[in-house]
Amino acid sequence: MAGAIIENMSTKRLILFGFFILVCQVFSILVGALIAPSPTSAIRYLATKCINRYRTHAWLMPWGLTRCQQIRSFDEPMAKTLDANDIVFAVHLPLPNHEMSPWFQYMLAVLQFDIAFKMINQIEDDVTITIDARLAYRDNVLSEWTTQFDSVEQRPLRCTLGVPKTYENEGRFYQCDPVPFLELGSVAHKYFLINMRLPVNDTVNIGIGEIKDIHVVGIHQNGGFTKVWMSMKTVFSSWMLVATAWYWHRVSLMTRPPVLLEKVILALGVSMTFLNVPVQWLSLGFEWTWILLFEDAQQGVFYSVLFCFWIIFCGEHLMDQSQRNRLSAYWWQVGLVLFGSCILLIFDLIERGGHLHNPFYNVWASEFGTKVLITFIIVAGISSCLYFFSLCCMVFCVFRTIGGKMQQLPTMPAARRLRYKGIIFRFKFLMLVSLACAAMTVIFFILNQVSEGHCYWGDYTLQVHSAFLTGIYGMWNLYVFAIIFLYAPSHKHSRNKSADSQHTDLTEKPECQETQLTCGEHGPTEAYRITGKVAEE
Amino acid sequence: MPTVSTVNLTAPLLLLLLWATHPTMATNWLSLARLPRSRPVSGAAPCARLRGLTPGQVGVCRARGEVMESVRKAAEMVIEECQHQFRNRRWNCSTTPRGINVFGRVMNQGTSTIDMMSHKKLIKCIDPCLYSTPDKKFCVCHVPVVVPGTREAAFVHALSSAAVAVAVTRACTRGELERCGCDRKVRGVSPEGFQWSGCSDNLSYGVAFSQTFVDEPERAKGLSAGRPLMNLHNNEAGRKAILHNMQVECKCHGVSGSCELRTCWKVMPPFRRVGAVLKERFDGATEVRLTRIGSRTALLPRDPQVKPPAARDLVYLAPSPDFCHLDPDNGIPGTAGRRCNGTSRLAPDGCELVCCGPGFRAGRAEVVQRCSCKFSWCCSVRCQQCKNTVTIHTCRV
Repeated sequence: MAGAIIENMSTKRLILFGFFILVCQVFSILVGALIAPSPTSAIRYLATKCINRYRTHAWLMPWGLTRCQQIRSFDEPMAKTLDANDIVFAVHLPLPNHEMSPWFQYMLAVLQFDIAFKMINQIEDDVTITIDARLAYRDNVLSEWTTQFDSVEQRPLRCTLGVPKTYENEGRFYQCDPVPFLELGSVAHKYFLINMRLPVNDTVNIGIGEIKDIHVVGIHQNGGFTKVWMSMKTVFSSWMLVATAWYWHRVSLMTRPPVLLEKVILALGVSMTFLNVPVQWLSLGFEWTWILLFEDAQQGVFYSVLFCFWIIFCGEHLMDQSQRNRLSAYWWQVGLVLFGSCILLIFDLIERGGHLHNPFYNVWASEFGTKVLITFIIVAGISSCLYFFSLCCMVFCVFRTIGGKMQQLPTMPAARRLRYKGIIFRFKFLMLVSLACAAMTVIFFILNQVSEGHCYWGDYTLQVHSAFLTGIYGMWNLYVFAIIFLYAPSHKHSRNKSADSQHTDLTEKPECQETQLTCGEHGPTEAYRITGKVAEE
Repeated sequence: MPTVSTVNLTAPLLLLLLWATHPTMATNWLSLARLPRSRPVSGAAPCARLRGLTPGQVGVCRARGEVMESVRKAAEMVIEECQHQFRNRRWNCSTTPRGINVFGRVMNQGTSTIDMMSHKKLIKCIDPCLYSTPDKKFCVCHVPVVVPGTREAAFVHALSSAAVAVAVTRACTRGELERCGCDRKVRGVSPEGFQWSGCSDNLSYGVAFSQTFVDEPERAKGLSAGRPLMNLHNNEAGRKAILHNMQVECKCHGVSGSCELRTCWKVMPPFRRVGAVLKERFDGATEVRLTRIGSRTALLPRDPQVKPPAARDLVYLAPSPDFCHLDPDNGIPGTAGRRCNGTSRLAPDGCELVCCGPGFRAGRAEVVQRCSCKFSWCCSVRCQQCKNTVTIHTCRV
C-alpha cells in the first residue's frame, strides 16, 4: 500500500493523536464508573404458597386485593389436609408499586430451593425436579392476566448438606445450586406473574426432600445502564460510520486498485459499525426477543474480522518472496476463524434460539444437550488455540525478518532505508497497540471477576463492572478508529519529492505485480530500480 | 453450669430482685406470639390494645402497621429457636415458670413449648400478668423467662432483634409490604429510581426496622444505665450475626453464557443458623460492668485482662443463677421433672448434666409412637403406630 498516514506523521502529531485517543478512553471509562449504575440487578422474591384445591387454571396472585388463599408454611395444620398437587407457588415479578420496563432488555429467573434435612426424607442422588411453570403478563393493574408461556420443565437438583446426617441436624437446610428457570428476551409488559406447580405422582418428583420454600431471583439489566450504553453505541456508530466512509473515499482516490490490507481494514471498519448499530432502540417499541441473539452475532462478526485482520496484517508484513496480497494465501487461518465462529454461532442458536420459542427451555438440563454443547465449546476452544498458535508463529517470523532487515539497514541506500524503516515502524506500532488492548481486556476481565461490583471513593460510588464494560467497548472502538485513521493512504506524497521511495508498494511483491502497482503514480524508474535490487537479494 | 453459693450474693440478688420487679421488660413484645392468628395487630385501635408493647413501640405500630404481622411471626420464631437451641440445658427457655405441684398436669405437645398453668400463689411472673385464664385464677406468661442482665437475657435479646430483621425481610420478599428496599429515592421519584438502578437490599430495611422497634424501649430509658446499654449492644450483636453470615450466589449470563456479565446477590442465612451462631456467642459471652470514662459511660469487662467485647459478642452484667432449684420470685422453674437422656453420660442432654443435686430417677412407660413413616412432599406422612415400652428418665426435685 502507499504511504500510510502514520509514516508521514511527525512524532509531535502522533503524540497529540495518542493523547486525544487517551482522553476519549478515559472519558468512556468515567461514563461507566460515574454515570451508569450497575449493569444488572438481582431481586429476590419469596414464592407464596397458594392453595388451588379445585385445580383450576386461574391465575393466582400472591398479594394485593385479589390475593389467593395461602399457607405460610407446610407445618400449619391446614397444610396437612392438602395434596401436593393443590399447591401453586405464585410470584409476581415487580414488587408492589413498581413496574417493569422495556429498558430492562431481558429478564432471567433463577430458582433457589430451601430444602430441610429430614432423616426419613432425604434428597436422593441424581434427582431431577419437575416443574409445571406458567408465565402471564398484564399492563394494567385492573385487567386480566394473559397467558404468555406454559411448559413442564425438568431440572437436575444438586444439593449438599454441610453438617453430618444425624437426627441432631434435622431441620438444617441443604446447600443447593441455583436452578436456571427462565430467560425472557424482551420485557414488553409491566407486570408478570409466575405460577409454578410441583406435580407429584409415583414417578415424578420423588426423592426431592422436604421443600420448605422456593425463592425466585429475577435478574434484569438496569434501565440506567441501558440508556448509557445505547447513547454510547449511537455516538460510536455514527463516528465509526463517518470514519469508515472517509477511509474508503481516501482509498478510492488512489489511482491503483486497493490492496488486500486496505480491504481488510475496510472490513474491520464495517464490522465495527455493524457492532455499533443500536438495535436496542427497536426493542423499546416492539416485542422482539431475537435482539439478544442479534447482539451476540454482532460481537461474533467483529471478533472474526479482527482475528482475520491480525493474521493478514502480519502476513502482509512478512516480506518474503511468496505470493501475497490475496486472500487465498491465508486460507487455512481464515478458514479456522470462520469455522470457530460458525461453531459458536450454532451454539448460540441452540441456546438462545430455544428461548425464542420457550423461555423456560434450558438446553443444559438434559444430558444429551449438555454433551453436545460441551463438544461445541471444546471444538471452538481448539480452533482458537490453533489460531493463536499460528498468529504467534507469524509474528515471530515477522520479527525475525525485521531483525534481518535492520541489520542490513546501514548498508542500504537512503530511499530504501526510509522505506524499510517505515514498514518496521508501522508493524511495531500496530503490534504494540494490539497487544496493549488485548492485555488490558484480559486484565480488566479478571479484575472484574474478582472484585465487587462497586467501590467507594470519597463521596462517589464507582461502578467497577459498568466501567469495565464501557471502557473495553470504547477501547476497541478507538483502536479501530486509530487503525483506520493512521493506516489510511496518505496524500502527502503528491507534494513531497523526497518521499519518492514511499510511492512504491511497501510489501515485497514479485516484479510483475510491482510494476502494475507503482506504474500509476510517478513512473516506474525509481521503483523498478528499488524492487530490482530487492529481487536480487 | 457453675454453682453459685448463696452466701456472697445477697447484695446482687437484691439488685436482681429490684430489676426483676421492674414493671416493663424490653422483650415483652414477644408475647405477640401467643395472640390468636385471627386477631389483627395493625391499625390504630388494635395497636393500643396490644399488651406488652412500650408506648414508643405502640407509636411504631401505629406508623407502620403493616409490619406488625411480621413482628408477630418474629416472636414465634424467637420462642421456637430459643427452645431448640437450649433444649439440652438446665435453662431451656421455657415461657412459663412452673410450680411444684403441677408435675401431674404436664401436657407435652411434642417438642414445642411445655405450656403449663402456674398457680398464682406460688409463682409470680416476672412481667405483669399479660394473659390470664378467663377465671383470672391462673397467670400464663408467654415470654421466655429470663433473669434480667444475665447471659440468657443477652441471648434472648440478640435472638429477638435478629428475628425481627429476618421476618421483616421475608415479608418484603413476599411482597406483603408496600415500602421496602426501594424506599430510597434515587434520581427523583421512587419508580424512576427502581427503573434506573434497581432496588437496594431488602435486608437493610429489615435491619433498620429492627433497630427502630426492638431498640426503642432501651433508648427510652436513657443510655447511661447499665441494662439499656447491655441490651442495645446485644440487639446489635444479633443483627450482626445475620449480616456476617450472608452468602453470595452468582450467575454468569454474557455472550453465549460466558462470564462477561455476572450478577451476584446475597442470600440471608436460615434462622436456625443464626440461632446456632448466637448460641456460640452465648457460650463465649463477656461479663461487663458499667464504667464511667470522662463524661460518658461504657461497658467494659469486669476482668481487666479480658479484651473489650467486639460488636458481635454478647455481654452480660450479672452472673447466671444456678437453675437447679425452683425460685418463684425470680421465675426460675428449676430442673424438677425435666426429661433427660439416661443412656449416654456424656451427651449434652445426659441426666448428669441437666439434673443437679438429688439426681434423676427412671421410670418405665408404655408409649405409642409413630414408626416406619413414609413421607411424600408436600404434606402427607403415612405412619404406623408402634407400641413401645421405654424408660423415661426425669430429674428429681
